Amino acid sequence: MEIDETAFGGLIEESRDTHADALRAARKPLADMVDLGRQDRARGGMDPDQSRAFAVENRRRLGAIARRAGGLLAATGVIAAIADYIGSPAFASSGTDVQVLQTASSIEVLAVSTYKTALGLPYIGGSAANPVIKAFATTTMGQHADHLAAFQSATTSLGGAKQDKPEPAFVPVVGKAVTAITKASGSQGALLVVGLALELENIAAETYVNNMSLLADANAKKVTASIMGVEAQHVAVLLAVQALLKAGASADITLPPPTDKLPAVAGSIGFPNAFYPTSNAAPASQGARS
Amino acid sequence: MSANEPVSHLSEAELLAMTADLDAMHHDLTLPALRDSLAEWTDDIRSQGDSGHDEADAARQFLFDRRRFLTRAAGTAGGIAGVALLAACSSSSSTATASATATSSAAATATGAAASVDGEGQALSGDLQVVAMAAGLENSGIATYMAAIKAATTGKLGPVPLAVVTFAETALAQHQDHQKAWNAVLTAAGKKPVTAVDPVIQPTINAAMAKVTSVTALANLALLVENTAGETYQNGLSVIKSAAGIKTAASIQPVEFQHAAILSFVLGKYPVPNAFTGVSLARPPSDYKV
Repeated sequence: MEIDETAFGGLIEESRDTHADALRAARKPLADMVDLGRQDRARGGMDPDQSRAFAVENRRRLGAIARRAGGLLAATGVIAAIADYIGSPAFASSGTDVQVLQTASSIEVLAVSTYKTALGLPYIGGSAANPVIKAFATTTMGQHADHLAAFQSATTSLGGAKQDKPEPAFVPVVGKAVTAITKASGSQGALLVVGLALELENIAAETYVNNMSLLADANAKKVTASIMGVEAQHVAVLLAVQALLKAGASADITLPPPTDKLPAVAGSIGFPNAFYPTSNAAPASQGARS
Repeated sequence: MSANEPVSHLSEAELLAMTADLDAMHHDLTLPALRDSLAEWTDDIRSQGDSGHDEADAARQFLFDRRRFLTRAAGTAGGIAGVALLAACSSSSSTATASATATSSAAATATGAAASVDGEGQALSGDLQVVAMAAGLENSGIATYMAAIKAATTGKLGPVPLAVVTFAETALAQHQDHQKAWNAVLTAAGKKPVTAVDPVIQPTINAAMAKVTSVTALANLALLVENTAGETYQNGLSVIKSAAGIKTAASIQPVEFQHAAILSFVLGKYPVPNAFTGVSLARPPSDYKV
């Protein structure tokens, strides 16, 4: 099937228009958060007991993650570093919602930089790259930049410091993966890029799903809820793309795909769980700062 | 090559193995966590006292403790709730094609529901009204996919790609899982499961379904249903009071948006059109008439 790049470009443009509408819709909850942040500060700020309790809960979650010992996180032995970070004074000094939002920001910083790096590779962002993959990487990087701005705005609205550093625990993991990617051949490299993106997107989605029950502020919940489904959609697309790449069918990564040529299981590969898991969620305060 | 024959370089066995791996993870990690959330939510609802129960309800609820909710055999309402939930937990995406209505009707009969076997018109409020509305919405989703599969198998839509059939079957199974999860909360609280469709949105679905004569038209209708479900649960996250209830809704919302992403992809639309999902299509709790 030939790719109609003009039509595809139009779709991206349409997506951007809709996206701009969504951004405008997100302004209201963010504005509400500003008011709530001011109210909190007027009442004397965050409850230190609440912050300490949150730290204890996150240490518990960290232990659970260590026990699971799977995926990139366990492979690089970063658990101890995270524990040290959570035990730091910076962690205990922030309100719970602020810590959660800072961690979310740190994940988005890492996602943006990872997609930017990927787009610098010829087989992802070059002229010979698959146009669907290239457009997806470009658009997704922009969406993560929007998520970052939303989380940062929410953080400062609640009186917290804006987090603009990448998630500390995952930085060495991503760095190692990128090193491997740059040494790989085109086809193998594309698969490694998709695998890395998939892992990051899934961590983001699972972290935000998990954060929903930790956040106290109503508008922080609204912002997070409006983002987690988008990360899950990135996961769905990447799972489908990964399956096609693994099967050596990169030519079938088109929009729309040649559905009549695909095997039956391709119809369900993008959404393997009826209930979104949280087992790979980052500890909610892992990316917090003072 | 025939229209439905998979391309030769795609390995069905490999894709099946990947699906099996994901399914195993789902059962190892996701479902036990969901069971805990639902049991915790049941406790929360009881302690909130927001279910509008009378003395008879209170007496019935007294019979349900957390342990019974999870383990008791069929024959009591608590057992049915556990069975329904365990059925939800054990039904894989590839096998659950039985009628959800039949399962839930059996549960309704076993709980002694005489006045309203479809669970409509109960005096519910707060989280339980949200749950009942959600169950009704899932029933509408189930009805949509069942009608779609029927239309496909009777030739009304012309040739239907195998991947599209798998999509519909898997999405149907996941909506059945969601419906069972919502209804498990209702029955554990001493209420009747809701097996009726959403009375507000269903006429729109029926009218659209009557005009469907192609896979494309059907996919567009399914996309509307999925986006409505995702946005409804996103909105519900701002309405539900219980943290465990928020966990449950948060675990379902991303899955509906994943369905929507794959449907968009199949339709040739950009699969992740917005950086933020909205709530403009959300159904309110009042869709469930008390």
